[in-house]
Amino acid sequence: MKPCLTRRALLPAAAAAVLASCQKAAPTPFAGTSPVAVLKAKSYQEDLVSHILTGIRLCGLQVKDADGIRSVLVEIAEGPGHRRDTLGLADEAGYWKGVKNFEDNFVDLNRDDVSPIKNFAGQEQFFFPNTVLAADLIVSMPKMKTHHWAGTTLSMKNFFGLVPGAVYGWPKNTLHYIGIAESIVALNRQFRQTFAIVDGIVGMEGNGPIQGTPKTANVLVFGKDLVAVDATCCRIMGIDPAKIEYLTMSADFGATSAAQIQQRGENPAAVRTDFQLMQQYQSLRLA
Amino acid sequence: MPEGYLRPRLEALRRHQNPDGGWGYFPGKRSWLEPTAYALLALQKDSESPAWQKGWRLLRSWQREDGAWQPNGHVPEAHWATALAITLHCANKVHDAAFRKGVDWLVATSGAETRLFARLFAMVAESPTGHDLKFRGWPWRPDATAWIEPTAHTLVALKKAAKQISGSELSKRIVLGEGMILRRRCSDGGWNYGAKAALGIELPSYPETTALALLGLQGSREADLTPALRHAYHLWQDSRSRWSRAWLAISLRSFGTALPEEPESQQPTHDLILTALEALATPEGGHRYFRPDGVTA
Repeated sequence: MKPCLTRRALLPAAAAAVLASCQKAAPTPFAGTSPVAVLKAKSYQEDLVSHILTGIRLCGLQVKDADGIRSVLVEIAEGPGHRRDTLGLADEAGYWKGVKNFEDNFVDLNRDDVSPIKNFAGQEQFFFPNTVLAADLIVSMPKMKTHHWAGTTLSMKNFFGLVPGAVYGWPKNTLHYIGIAESIVALNRQFRQTFAIVDGIVGMEGNGPIQGTPKTANVLVFGKDLVAVDATCCRIMGIDPAKIEYLTMSADFGATSAAQIQQRGENPAAVRTDFQLMQQYQSLRLA
Repeated sequence: MPEGYLRPRLEALRRHQNPDGGWGYFPGKRSWLEPTAYALLALQKDSESPAWQKGWRLLRSWQREDGAWQPNGHVPEAHWATALAITLHCANKVHDAAFRKGVDWLVATSGAETRLFARLFAMVAESPTGHDLKFRGWPWRPDATAWIEPTAHTLVALKKAAKQISGSELSKRIVLGEGMILRRRCSDGGWNYGAKAALGIELPSYPETTALALLGLQGSREADLTPALRHAYHLWQDSRSRWSRAWLAISLRSFGTALPEEPESQQPTHDLILTALEALATPEGGHRYFRPDGVTA
């Protein structure tokens, strides 16, 4: 079985392979508190492998060094929501140049072979990519962004990329009919063997996730509990997580309140950088 | 040049045909309808061969009782690529009962947003996308909204089928489908997946969906497509994406635009749809399979 990474990555293979090498056991059920690590990173020119190893360790995981990569099978995977040309997008993102033998290590989740699962989000059966269903660990690697429908798009919303376009289309409109918040929550209930590395070095504010403005926040956020990671990201972005619908709907399986989250590394309040919000989302602003 | 660019693509498709006769999205993967349809179109000159016929039989076996095609042998759901199956039937000059049943399914299918309840809702609540629901396009799958790509493919299929099957409903759907595409055109002159604005903010077009929208509009009497073709040509000049360039070349060549050929040195990728599209996009390739009969370049 293989771990599977999603979304735009910061040296993705390196980080996730190290993580996967230490994360073989089934995840511990949510027990009331979750560690989330926040690290400062000023630019993409820094030693990000080192940052990522530190972030993973701060979350309590025993990791080997970067050489552990070679002993673990890692697949980089992506399933864009609106564009069919996944390999072209990967080219624009620099994967082809940055990852050796990229095409051999990449899965287009929109066009992977699929298998059904029963009773997903009120659907009698729902199809998912076999790569995702077989993964020991799914590492969600989103940008830190605002979203014009969901408020924010972070590690949980990133799981829309797990839904195969070859069955559900571009956009994955079936998820809109289920409900965006409902779909985010259902996907995160379904896939529990997870880790998140959120890229907030440069995120997006305003009319995200596509037409917003680049926003420099200079942080990386790490954690196994994606609900806790997203709640922490919200606080860094100056957004009240209690006002994000998909987070409130996830409170039974992840940590959302500050009291439930063991913050490691930087204090979110100390690195808070308010992201610009569209007019209709001004009420989301954290006091 | 043609042989040096086209031949490796056709050879790659022949090499990666699955034992069941179909093609996966990538080598060694299960057969799916979409790559199988494109591969069979690209290899149409082989249509008498046992290998081609095996793929054709597999594709035909995926038709459902209701006339729609399912996306592969494992997902028993009606699927937009029924349009590709119909286009392939036209290219193969097969207009039998299965073909007619598929056409009937396409004619009877439209985006969920045009259903009665959705239209009633739209009368009391402003749609965030501002779509005009009178113009019915086609969805990726039933119970979802209509978008540009499935609508464009279905228009190509129905316009080709119209030579064989006459009917007022078919003609009406073509007009309404064209109207849907024309009304979802972005302000920059092209098309994206099917929303020209969201929350009142204009959205940009994409190269590949602009190409497909133009294919769907071939022969349209409602609009002057000259500015859109000019925009598509500029997109072709500027685009680095091979997927986008292949669709733009198919579309522009269908409209008679002369384009320089792609370099022979460019090798096929593992993406079997892209391989088929690049073969179809060559001057001597099968872009004509996407042109409705009677519509001249």
